[in-house]
Amino acid sequence: MAATRARRGGPPPEEPEAGTTGRYLVLLDDRDLAAGMRALRRQAGVRSAASAAEAPEGLEASGADAIVFDEIGVAVVATRPDRVAAVRSMAESSPAILAVEPERYVWAIGTDDYAHGYRDGVADLVGRLERGGAAATASTGSASAEAVVTATGTFTWGLTATGVAATTRTGRGIKIAVLDTGIDLRHPDVLRRTIVRSSFIAGETINDGNGHGTHTSGTASGPANPPSGQPRYGVASRASLHIGKVLSNAGSGTDQQILAGINWAIGLGCHIISMSLGAPATVGQTFSQVYEQVGRRALARGTIIVAAAGNESSRPFQIAPVGHPANCPSFMAVAAVDPNLAIASFSCGAVNPNGGEVNIAGPGVAVDSAWPRPTLRRTIAGTSMATPHVAGIAALWAESDPTLRGQALWDKLVATASALPLPASDVGAGLVQAPV
Amino acid sequence: MDVTCSVDAADQADFERVVKNCRRAGLRVTSALDTIGVVTGSIDEAKLDALAAVRGVTAVERERVVRLPDPGGGVL
Repeated sequence: MAATRARRGGPPPEEPEAGTTGRYLVLLDDRDLAAGMRALRRQAGVRSAASAAEAPEGLEASGADAIVFDEIGVAVVATRPDRVAAVRSMAESSPAILAVEPERYVWAIGTDDYAHGYRDGVADLVGRLERGGAAATASTGSASAEAVVTATGTFTWGLTATGVAATTRTGRGIKIAVLDTGIDLRHPDVLRRTIVRSSFIAGETINDGNGHGTHTSGTASGPANPPSGQPRYGVASRASLHIGKVLSNAGSGTDQQILAGINWAIGLGCHIISMSLGAPATVGQTFSQVYEQVGRRALARGTIIVAAAGNESSRPFQIAPVGHPANCPSFMAVAAVDPNLAIASFSCGAVNPNGGEVNIAGPGVAVDSAWPRPTLRRTIAGTSMATPHVAGIAALWAESDPTLRGQALWDKLVATASALPLPASDVGAGLVQAPV
Repeated sequence: MDVTCSVDAADQADFERVVKNCRRAGLRVTSALDTIGVVTGSIDEAKLDALAAVRGVTAVERERVVRLPDPGGGVL
């Protein structure tokens, strides 16, 4: 098991199968974990199993054969080569075992550094950096949503235009998940936060080798007084931030990785899922039935999924349809507006019927937010940037009223958006607005 | 080919049954996401109809890949 340690921080030199670690993830029936553990002992030759709490340093350091993450009903098993076949067939032979996967597919283990190590990657293991967070005394500032909004020096233009600059809400007590390329955990604006995180990309840690995820996470939940400097750019500064890495450092992800991330976030009770990702849709294309069912289930469980409409338009010449998965009726599709509150030239629009509409708009041009070290800050554009504004503001509304969950939260966001003199096919209900 | 399937299941046990029947239909399951009712995996294209016919499977879709634009491009 010493080999496990050597695998930290990069692709392992030797693989039992391409892209796998040689360990197995066993999905247990969470109604009867004990039965699952009995099956593991009997069939997988597990002699000693540790709970996640008992083995904070990870499997190899614990001396156990297995670690059980009982919150999510997952065991990570280091099995002997002669037991591999038995382990892999457990899902067929034991009703308490729901699935067995090589450690790669669903709960890929993210290891961001030696200090945090193995335990950080699996879903419910909270990497506690330093507890606390800056005293969130939001500076008072007038938040007039004027026709032309400029950064005030204290707040980005987007926070001013959406009323975040004026609200007393911080998102405290609300769980928000950002599914993206991860986050720079050592960014100065992140260091004081407790971040729940998991990587679903094989061989890649939660650390953001792209930048996109650090930027979107920053917008959704960056601090009230960013150590990187003014202006403030983050919306729900005291929300409980959950980071699921479903896109690789190269910026790509599969449905499987994205769905695993959604499953993770909903399983942890996240109230809001922000997804600044998508694939272009063609004219006439219908939405994904799979994602739509997922979105409906999420709403029924009190989770709203907010997704970027897409950047494929070239206005005024061509308006591209809202992409996948934002084109699912149960996903809130977010368009981008600029500091003049005009539609962004790239923002996708309602071209396709039946789910292909835009639901709401957010600030998505000249958006200043966090970027991985050493850059620290970057100003960029995209519906990807508009989406976490909406997600963060959703957290503020959810904090303001415990009945605002799922569809009720959706309805509130739409009802309180400020109307814009633009077609609903471009901006839906208008510019998202924070509670007072 | 890699696919994602949505599953309509009455409860956990029902979900497990559907997953097992997907396996029998030829799906090499890579994840069974019970919270959201999704099964992902790979399957021979010739067996797709059998998979779609599994009771409880409401949709089968070919897996998509999502890509971000180049971070240098300004629009993300």
